[in-house]
Amino acid sequence: MNPFKSIWNFLYISFHRLGSPREFYTISAYATPVFGLLFLGLSTYGAYLGLFVAPADYQQGDSFRIIYVHVPAAWLSLFIYVVMACASAIGLIWRMKMAFVVALCSAPIGAAFTFLALATGSLWGAPIWGTWWEWDARLTSELILLFLYSGVMALYYAFDDRRTAERATAMLAVVGVVIVPIIHYSVEWWSSLHQGATVFREGGPAMPANMLTPLLLMALGFTFFYGYCLFHRARNMVLHNERNSSWVREMINELE
Amino acid sequence: MSPTQKKRLKIIGLIVTGVAIAAFFALRAFQANIEYFLTPAEISAGEFEPGVSYRIAGLVQKGSVSTLADGVTHQFTITDCVDDVVVQYTGILPDLFREGQAIVSLGKLNADKLMIASQVLAKHDENYVPTEAADAMMLAQASKCDNAEGPISY
Repeated sequence: MNPFKSIWNFLYISFHRLGSPREFYTISAYATPVFGLLFLGLSTYGAYLGLFVAPADYQQGDSFRIIYVHVPAAWLSLFIYVVMACASAIGLIWRMKMAFVVALCSAPIGAAFTFLALATGSLWGAPIWGTWWEWDARLTSELILLFLYSGVMALYYAFDDRRTAERATAMLAVVGVVIVPIIHYSVEWWSSLHQGATVFREGGPAMPANMLTPLLLMALGFTFFYGYCLFHRARNMVLHNERNSSWVREMINELE
Repeated sequence: MSPTQKKRLKIIGLIVTGVAIAAFFALRAFQANIEYFLTPAEISAGEFEPGVSYRIAGLVQKGSVSTLADGVTHQFTITDCVDDVVVQYTGILPDLFREGQAIVSLGKLNADKLMIASQVLAKHDENYVPTEAADAMMLAQASKCDNAEGPISY
């Protein structure tokens, strides 16, 4: 048998299994701790390299090390929004229950990362730029992203009927995706106080490998943290949404 | 994909495209307001109004930093290697302030294009370099304008 075909079949079947709330609940019980461990391992190693091994920057000295929290948090704030928008679109088109769950559970995590990016940016700006906050294009668009996440959460809880809430929220999340390229290119399209892109730019990263490696490790670790939180939240939401279904009732009966 | 699903996909695609176009025009309309600063060349090219606040960014020109007779007012020139603006600022300069550093200063211009700044911020670029290479980098930064043939970006 063709190995690629069997791998593809495996992925295809797993995806379909994850689409069912019950199967998701079973599979995520194993995946969640794995994500948690990967997060701990990668970010501990990344933080060690970033704080102790990476050399100090020639002009910012040791204060540049906040980059190892600020930049992964900012990347994640955008990445989570894209995941949320894609899941919302899948939910709207295929009326898939789990897609709405993924989208809604991503919103508070994304909002937390956006807040972290703004807060660490502020802490970084105070000594280096000489200001906590300036209304430049990058800072302002990132703040709008925080409002967008808040709007998605607020809209969901504004409806009594779950289906209406899911669809309305998903529509807002899909439409809001236009903010993502605006944030990314804000430092190119307009003059700003914020620096341009260091890593994702033409001509490769403007940073030596011993500074870049911890950054990438932290970013990967943060991504697993997102997965870990997402699975936890999604498991709770699945139980809540499916509280009247037989498998949840059976599980509760077994506990009692 | 069933016909209904295709229809939903089309509707979502259209709505997102519509919002993207609306955002594009809205941002185009506010272009001048979204720009954080002007460069010295833009100030010279356009008509600046004395007494109006501007934010101007440029590199601190080599050898231009001095302190006025009152002992607390700094005077320096910021340049984009084509045009420059002289800035006077009373207060504490940011730690990164030095020759060759990109600076954003906010203040009013007088009729002679002298800026009386109320705020001076440091603007660092996207390059991160280990301290071992610091001397070479500092020198390169301070002499950026020596080899520049036109306005430089910062």
